[in-house]
Amino acid sequence: MIRPEPARRSRVNPKVLVVGLVVALPLLAVLVANLGRDPHSVRSPLVGRPAPAFSLVPVGGGAPVALEKVKGKPVVINFWATWCVPCFEEHAALTAAARGLPDVQFLGIVYEDEETRTQEFLRQRPSAYPSLFDPEGKAAIAYGVFGVPETFFIDGSGRIVDKYVGPMTRSTIAALVARAKEGAR
Amino acid sequence: MTPAASALAGILALASSGQQIPPGAAPAAGIGAPKGPQLSGPELDKRTDDIGALLRCPVCQGLSVADSPATMARNMKAEVREKLAKGYDQEQILAYFERSYGEFVRLEPPMRGVNWLVWFGPVAGLLAGGAVIAWAMKRSRGGPAAAGGRDVAFAAPAASELPSRDTVPADPKLAAAVRRVRMLAYGWPQGFSPKAGS
Repeated sequence: MIRPEPARRSRVNPKVLVVGLVVALPLLAVLVANLGRDPHSVRSPLVGRPAPAFSLVPVGGGAPVALEKVKGKPVVINFWATWCVPCFEEHAALTAAARGLPDVQFLGIVYEDEETRTQEFLRQRPSAYPSLFDPEGKAAIAYGVFGVPETFFIDGSGRIVDKYVGPMTRSTIAALVARAKEGAR
Repeated sequence: MTPAASALAGILALASSGQQIPPGAAPAAGIGAPKGPQLSGPELDKRTDDIGALLRCPVCQGLSVADSPATMARNMKAEVREKLAKGYDQEQILAYFERSYGEFVRLEPPMRGVNWLVWFGPVAGLLAGGAVIAWAMKRSRGGPAAAGGRDVAFAAPAASELPSRDTVPADPKLAAAVRRVRMLAYGWPQGFSPKAGS
């Protein structure tokens, strides 16, 4: 006699289901939480804190410029280098923004570059704000710089309001400067 | 006067009333006064390497500051050395870099908060995995009875229960189907070859 085929039951093992959910749900939550995040907007532990002090000599020489001395108005600090293509791309936007916003202090800080190359770069593409030389990278370390370009927006009280990673356009600069101005009120 | 020079002149005019700060002499913010001894000589070299090994090079792929040849890593190592020479201790120096780069900069995350998972999560996972394997092995050794009789329905039938080669099912339709299959497969509808049936 041929035995009848046992009826196939498609049922979910609750233990497997629970373990699967425990593993999958946190991963899904992380994915969903980061879906809308702007990759250029890197959360720095310095945002909301006082901007690290520095005193650096401008490219081409002269008296050192200290951040403390420009306190009282919004400051835009742009870390850049001549070997960095995105820095070249944003140079015009930063220069135009600095000309159009006389109530904001723009400062460039040269990152891992040679002074002669920087001078040549600025001779060919005049800037509307001073660039400072950071030969030992102390300012870059104090600001937690990973690469260039990175730009910090500081309010009038000397607090970092935003950090932007990557090349900026005039509209991005204007929007972030507006936030730095709001922070000063 | 170029626009940059003019802007610089403005800053310097603003600064002229105040005290001049020497280049690069910004104080180490947020880590307080030095708590350790001021190191020098071979001890300074050793401690610089030790602390450099605990710091992640921010521009490298998983390399410590002590191991990386990158300019950024060299600068960070110089900063560690300078702070040790001034008397800052290991935790103060790590805290200094953490203030600007976040906890990411530490190659060994401190044992606090969610970091406990990083330290003990793998061990806990290993133990849990071992427990699951041990449970599964124990369960399979116990046989179908130990499995709550779930597999009994799929157990091989006893030899006495198996139909012999020449039997057909009681159901006439099924019996006809079995004969057709035998015909197609072997060329004869019965269970044995006609040549062998003597």
